[in-house]
Amino acid sequence: MRLVGVSKVYGDAESAVTALDNVSLSLPTGSFTAVMGPSGSGKSTLLQCAAGLDRPDRGVVVVDGAELAGGTEAELTKFRRNRIGFVFQSYNLLPTLTVLQNTTLPLRLAGRRVSRERARTILAQVGLADRLGHFPDQLSGGQRQRVAIARALVAEPAVIFADEPTGALDTRSAREVLELLREVVSAHGRTVVMVTHDPVAASHADSVVFLADGRLAGSMTEPTADAVAERLAHLGDVVAAGV
Amino acid sequence: MLQLAIRSVRKRPGRFVGTLLATFLGAAISMAFNSLHDTAGAAGIDDTSAETLGLSAGVVGGYGTLLVFFAVASTLTVNVRQRASEITLLRQSGATPAQVKRMIMGEAVLVAVLGTALAIGPAMLGGRLLLDMFQETDQVAPGVDHVFGPIALSAGFGVTLLASAGAAFLAVRRATRTAAGARAPRARLRTAGGVLALLGGAGGVAATYAIDPAEPGLMAAPAYGAILLSVGFATLSGGLLRTLLRLFGRPIAALTGAGGYLAVHNTRRRAASLAGVLMTLVLFTGITIATICIQVVESDAIEAAGVGKSVEDKNVETLNLVVVGIIAAFCCVMLVNSLYAATSYRRHEFGGQRLAGATPRQVLTMVATESGLLAVIGLFFGTVAGLAGALAFADVRLEAGLPGETVLIWLGTAAIAVTATMATSLLTARRALRTPAIQAVAVAA
Ligand SMILES: Nc1ncnc2c1ncn2[C@@H]1O[C@H](COP(=O)(O)OP(=O)(O)OP(=O)(O)O)[C@@H](O)[C@H]1O
Ligand SMILES: [Mg+2]
Repeated sequence: MRLVGVSKVYGDAESAVTALDNVSLSLPTGSFTAVMGPSGSGKSTLLQCAAGLDRPDRGVVVVDGAELAGGTEAELTKFRRNRIGFVFQSYNLLPTLTVLQNTTLPLRLAGRRVSRERARTILAQVGLADRLGHFPDQLSGGQRQRVAIARALVAEPAVIFADEPTGALDTRSAREVLELLREVVSAHGRTVVMVTHDPVAASHADSVVFLADGRLAGSMTEPTADAVAERLAHLGDVVAAGV
Repeated sequence: MLQLAIRSVRKRPGRFVGTLLATFLGAAISMAFNSLHDTAGAAGIDDTSAETLGLSAGVVGGYGTLLVFFAVASTLTVNVRQRASEITLLRQSGATPAQVKRMIMGEAVLVAVLGTALAIGPAMLGGRLLLDMFQETDQVAPGVDHVFGPIALSAGFGVTLLASAGAAFLAVRRATRTAAGARAPRARLRTAGGVLALLGGAGGVAATYAIDPAEPGLMAAPAYGAILLSVGFATLSGGLLRTLLRLFGRPIAALTGAGGYLAVHNTRRRAASLAGVLMTLVLFTGITIATICIQVVESDAIEAAGVGKSVEDKNVETLNLVVVGIIAAFCCVMLVNSLYAATSYRRHEFGGQRLAGATPRQVLTMVATESGLLAVIGLFFGTVAGLAGALAFADVRLEAGLPGETVLIWLGTAAIAVTATMATSLLTARRALRTPAIQAVAVAA
């Protein structure tokens, strides 16, 4: 997965907010990357642009060897379906579908064969084997998040993006979710990119990319929670110094 | 809380356009017809004129007002339901259910008063035009002046206020209970209301048989019957919709793909909340079929009698044509109005589906399938309600079955109903799809 010179500006001329400023980033296949930075630094925007959910104003996004071109919404959607899984911070499950139906939805929408067996297996992996017929409003936040992850996995995408997947979870469910993401990388060779505010969560990743004011502000490999926290604390100073 | 209501209306007037339109049109119609009562009651009016006006106001003012009541109430229900998330927010920031209720009801009353006040001018004009029509057809003496008085005003304010406040009360009660974490209240009250309406409707239709066939007010009974049957059917249609989907859900989804699959599940889960939109659809179909058929039968009856049309018959015929036109148009506007409100509110939902991988076309297929289902159910019940009224009238008035024109009338009504339903929801959905999915999801969240 590769971003080259990606910029995104929100709003019109007077109230323009530069959410991303010429970001270039290359993540190898089969890596687990955490994206960190202060609130408003452009993490969600970065993820959405990389996942084809939003269009960057400038720059190129390459996912799984193919360029995410402009095109119509339908073209972008079809591109995403087979290559990209997205775990939304607010889950984005459809309230009128059950857990199992939500999970198989991407396959149905893509017109692919719906393998309930596979969906059941994935849901069992995320610990929801006994919740298949429940509706989202009958689940806890952590359970919903796990359904969202199962849904992102079902189409076997090359890249999975997750926006604060552990933001609303207690320590234990958070760890389960992180271990799940780790397994996706190590067992299936997928690429995972995760936004998080939590240094402990970031320490589960192979590397951390820091973002400040819409620009890259360094990275760290083999992160530990302490080192990440330390770096985050100094992020403001680094930006001020003009790096 | 009243201040909060006023502020809320002033700050976001766009949200109230739908209910304002409903109360405005409803009040205009009921006041225009009821002003004929005022006119008939004025001093120095001759007996024939007074009788003509009184009859017209009694028949049309009567069932027209009933129709307005249900149409306004269902529009209000559709609109207040959309504010569930706002109500949840208010509750979470410390508002008691009573405060929320006062605010939402305050808004509803405020909008109803405003809508009715705005309708006074048009209603005066409409009433005068009606009177002109009676005078041109020599049914009312030329010297009679139009009076817009207490009966018109109390009918206008009464019906819109009652319908608005009542619907808002019920909708907000449901919303606050759901927000409080309780399970959505069982629809016992709704079921009871639906059964009552059906009984009332059956009673209205049956009452036709108890009335003298030559009585000029005869058609009031089957018209009331058709309205109440429509309301009852619409209220209870959720169960039928669910049964239908249990039987045909799979074939529908197989035919229409993933879009239809979503439509089937949405409709199944939300069958009950579709009642508001369905009611306007059933009312439109039912009342249009009933009144046009009744008019055709009435003309046939006069022809069969072999005499020239008497003043009274002419009166009834003019009146009925006007009624059919105005009332059908009103119902059609209400149908479009509530469908527009219901669909434009789904922007957030559409956004979620698009983010989950649905193309805009799949979303539109979903909306089309849902509207199609709605149209089928609405047409079915509207036809039953309308024909029940028409059949009773034909039986009593002519001792005959339905006239041959019924098929044409049905086809025309069905074509308009289906076109209005599909066009409104698809155009509104297409507009909603213009917002990028990410923003559509963010806005309402
Ligand atoms: N739709 C939008 N319209 C205007 N400005 C926006 C929009 N979305 C984001 N922004 C702005 O762009 C900047 C980056 O937003 P973004 O959501 O990417 O931040 P973030 O790093 O994800 O923050 P957080 O950690 O709080 O989620 C912010 O300044 C935000 O105000
Ligand atoms: Mg964010």
